Amino acid sequence: MPDPDGQEVAVGEIATPVRPTADGRGVLRAALRSRRAALAGSSVLACLHQTGEALVPVLIGVVVDRAVDGGSPAELAGWLAVLAADFVLLSGSFRWGSRLGQRTAELVAHDLRGALVRKVLDPGGGARNGLLSGEVSSIAVQDARRVGALHMMLPLAVAAVAAIAVSAVALLWSSVVLGALVLLGTPPLLWATRRMARPLEAGSAAEQQDAALASAVATDLVRGLRVLRGIGAEDAAVARYAVASRRSLGAAVRAGRAGALLDGGVQAATGLFIALVAGVGGWLALSGSVSIGGLIAAVGLAQFLLGPLTMVAFVNAGIAQARASAERIAAVLARPAEVDTPEGDGPLPDAHRGRRLELRAVATAHLPALDLAVGPGEIVGLVAEPSAAQDLVAVLGRELDPRHGELRLDGVPAGRLPVTDFRREVLVERHDGVLFRGPVRENVAAGRARPTAPAMAAAAADEVVDALPDGADSDVGERGQALSGGQRQRVALARALAADAPVLVLHEPTTAVDSVTEARIAGGVRGLRADRTTLLVTSSPTLLAATDRVVLVLADGTTAHGRHAELLERHAAYRAVVSR
Amino acid sequence: MTGVLPTADGPATRRTVRRVLRGDRLRAGAAAAVLVAATAVGLLTAPLLGAIVDAVVAGGPREGVVLLALAIGGVALLHGAATALGQAQLVAAGEAALARLREAFVATALRLPLARVETAGSGDLTARAAHDIAMVQEVVRRSLPAFLRAVLTIVLTLVGLLVLDWRFALAALLAVPIQLLAARSFVRRAVPLYARQRVATGELQQQLLDTVGGARTVVAHGLQDHHTDLVDRRSGRAVELTVRGIVLVNGLFGRLNTAEFVGLAAVLATGYLLVRDGTATIGSATAAALYFHALFAPVNVALGLLDEAQTAAAGLARLAGVVGSGDAEADAGDDTTARPADPRGDRPDGPPRITATGLGHAYRPGHPVLVDVDLDVPPGGRVAVVGASGAGKTTLGRLVAGVQPPTAGRVLVGTDAPRTGESVALLTQEVHVFAGPLADDLRLARPAATDAEIEAAIEAVGAAGWVAALPDAAATVVGEGGHALTAAQAQQLALARLLLAAPPAAVLDEATAEAGSAAAGVLRAATAAALAGRTALVIAHRLDQAAAADHVVVLDGGRVLEAGAHLDLLTRGGPYAELWGAWSATAAPAR
Repeated sequence: MPDPDGQEVAVGEIATPVRPTADGRGVLRAALRSRRAALAGSSVLACLHQTGEALVPVLIGVVVDRAVDGGSPAELAGWLAVLAADFVLLSGSFRWGSRLGQRTAELVAHDLRGALVRKVLDPGGGARNGLLSGEVSSIAVQDARRVGALHMMLPLAVAAVAAIAVSAVALLWSSVVLGALVLLGTPPLLWATRRMARPLEAGSAAEQQDAALASAVATDLVRGLRVLRGIGAEDAAVARYAVASRRSLGAAVRAGRAGALLDGGVQAATGLFIALVAGVGGWLALSGSVSIGGLIAAVGLAQFLLGPLTMVAFVNAGIAQARASAERIAAVLARPAEVDTPEGDGPLPDAHRGRRLELRAVATAHLPALDLAVGPGEIVGLVAEPSAAQDLVAVLGRELDPRHGELRLDGVPAGRLPVTDFRREVLVERHDGVLFRGPVRENVAAGRARPTAPAMAAAAADEVVDALPDGADSDVGERGQALSGGQRQRVALARALAADAPVLVLHEPTTAVDSVTEARIAGGVRGLRADRTTLLVTSSPTLLAATDRVVLVLADGTTAHGRHAELLERHAAYRAVVSR
Repeated sequence: MTGVLPTADGPATRRTVRRVLRGDRLRAGAAAAVLVAATAVGLLTAPLLGAIVDAVVAGGPREGVVLLALAIGGVALLHGAATALGQAQLVAAGEAALARLREAFVATALRLPLARVETAGSGDLTARAAHDIAMVQEVVRRSLPAFLRAVLTIVLTLVGLLVLDWRFALAALLAVPIQLLAARSFVRRAVPLYARQRVATGELQQQLLDTVGGARTVVAHGLQDHHTDLVDRRSGRAVELTVRGIVLVNGLFGRLNTAEFVGLAAVLATGYLLVRDGTATIGSATAAALYFHALFAPVNVALGLLDEAQTAAAGLARLAGVVGSGDAEADAGDDTTARPADPRGDRPDGPPRITATGLGHAYRPGHPVLVDVDLDVPPGGRVAVVGASGAGKTTLGRLVAGVQPPTAGRVLVGTDAPRTGESVALLTQEVHVFAGPLADDLRLARPAATDAEIEAAIEAVGAAGWVAALPDAAATVVGEGGHALTAAQAQQLALARLLLAAPPAAVLDEATAEAGSAAAGVLRAATAAALAGRTALVIAHRLDQAAAADHVVVLDGGRVLEAGAHLDLLTRGGPYAELWGAWSATAAPAR
């Protein structure tokens, strides 16, 4: 159990990963189990705190009974000292218990965040399909926090139950009848508040989902601001947001109404209970079986019970939220991978400079059966329809399993190689590859300790750096948006080249680059990849002219092979695709 | 990229709040009145309990005790009903105000001058859209009702103590100095700490967007460990600062416990003295102590929410800064916000002439990127601008499209200065596909478009084939999280939007650059269709776009190097002919 005194928060201690579980219940259970010692500790402290709080009205009754009602000043002072001691107990236990509980809640949220990110970055992929990245990060921040908050709320619930028990004991002490009344009256009251929380539970999920959607729409529209303004579509966008916002408003008002009903209901139910206790207590006091102090303590405690009981309702609502959040987390964690991810070590022969990449009748939805082989020292161009090219790139990046056919690396079927091993050998730089926030230098190095200068020069990214205010230390901004499209492409290409992978697949790497620079890049890529294996999926004649040979894949499944110049000369379809 | 988007000051924030509350004032007032009544009714419980004690001390009658107990029950029912009613009203008013606030924010944000958003960095605006709205909502939903009820309870309980005996109220007030000191020192330390915590949370969100949005790239480059570590560190930092905030809050509650004890002891001692003097009954001493005890929770709630109030106020100021800046511009008659009634549809005048005379621009004084450029695009004509990176092509496009006012010379579209998106559209290489059904994306350009018009636009840009092949055709959800489109497809959509928006003139800034040459033929036809009948300035990387234009302008170092028709320039044998030579050499059969 972490020391609650510790000022410093050593987050690094987290070692209990939340296991990816299929359902929300499993996520909740794992979140609680991973830190059960802290959960127990904060529960004990919360109980002590509630006991202290429960003793306050009892002690008020005692002070009135023993001191105010004709006692001596010394008696008053003595009982006030007892009251002071009780305050020390309740204050101290709250301070440490609450710190421990809330800290654990944050740490559990942190654990969940880590599990989500690991899933999103899982080699098998698939975690993000159908989700906006804004939604995923909202799940990793808000939902993870709501699940973690159980560590804060459960101790409060335990303590609330304990407080109810302590009150009952105190009541039994002064009168068996009054004590029995509280003991028998509380469970139905708890049950009633639970029932009342039901509509809130149902509304909560809808409200959260709609509110999240409105927020995602706002972010999407603000991201596309320049596109909207360029065609004067801002009014239409505002109108569209208003629709999403209004839907969110409807759901929020419904959920809020349910919450108001719940609050009012809890208040009425508890008040009626107090009335019952006071009435019965007054009756008993009149017949002398309960002292005035006992009566005061009874009504005080019945009033005090409002706190713990409301707490139970609050925790109920919190658990409902946590459950909805856990479902969303589980939905991400349980997403199936996009590709088969074989385990174990693939029998790949020792590394040499380049590897032989082979496609045997590989077919996808948009790609007719394709045979292709690229060996070390070769630069091969591949020209295909955009959708076929996209599928091919996805297959080579192991993001898509082909419908038919096989992908081989040095003769070993890709299906027998762990995905991460395969990607270490075959680097695919997609056309839509993104840059990450941070300096150009870090983006190009991409965490590898290799010299970047040759790659920068080959990709003509050195010119980009020269034009930037802080050179290679300039921040590229979110998704590289501080750079122009052409600058982004050159930095991404430099990153791909700097990796020096045995096999490199480049997908339309120079579409936003002017023709003079493109020719320079074509020469640079040739020079740098001299003894490696390189596949250029492009229709840029400048790049294709720099390849050793070109494979043309047409929509009807026919292919043509040859050097760029030959194909230009003898193949009309090729000319049509690449001619400008 | 430092944020220069405004943050509103106190009065401006209050103005915005008043504005979004407009229309719900009555409802909010009614809610407040009902909640006051509810609290007042609830406070009757303590004196009724005191009366039971007095009745017992007096020795009867039993019926009196029963009646008092029944009265407490009645109070409970009334209290519960009024609370439910008041709170429901408050939620309705609050949610309506929140909806108005976020809608006003998005409406203003989308109409901010583009040049300003670009200097501030769109990240700042996105962050306000994504986080500040959510934060203010959270506080208004969860904390505001609790805060209001707590304050009401405190005020009315003090009134109750005064009614019992003014000396009880005086004794209770002994707690106030301790509470005020505790709250002041808390707020003083919490505000800067929470500011840091917000920054850390923002960094975490940014990192998550970066990592999740770029997941494929992360995986392709084997950067999983690096990115997991980045998220871990930023999350750890946010957690650390949050825990520090918790420690601070707990310290506040510790001091408030002291205040509770001081006040309670004082009230009990006062009761002892007053009962001894015979000026108060044991019943009223009991009621006073119970009253004070009942204050513990609301005082904690009210003071504990101070920090949230501060945080929400800061977020609100950032939202109001944007909302208010829109007001200022509308007042100043900025034509980007105050646009005339939709001029689209029938345009009897035909396409306008675009002229630029002596055009120059410098983003930083003394560093001109464009010098003395003259340009004339006849109505319905098409002029291409070519040149190497950094020649000033994009700046020229921005000036002609009216995104940026020139620092020298002037641009006219027809007889007026250009109005972005209205008299002249701007299509850049930034392709954004809006999340949602594909047809909805296109309808952003013309909301009233019929299905037939949408289909016609899709057909005109040559996208009919692939759109029909999508899982749900034009109803397929595209954009982030939806069906992924290729770059060429996204650009066809952009051109279809242009077609639907139907501006009289357009500037295309390398708008077809991203797609690659395989789609060049398709995009060339799509561009021709989208530009038909419009005056157009095309900024081109690809020289085929220049060849298709009526007139070509070659820029170099911000100046016009050469200008003329494509064939004339080729025969002239100048820089353009050289460029064309380099370009067509790779494409020509003879290599």
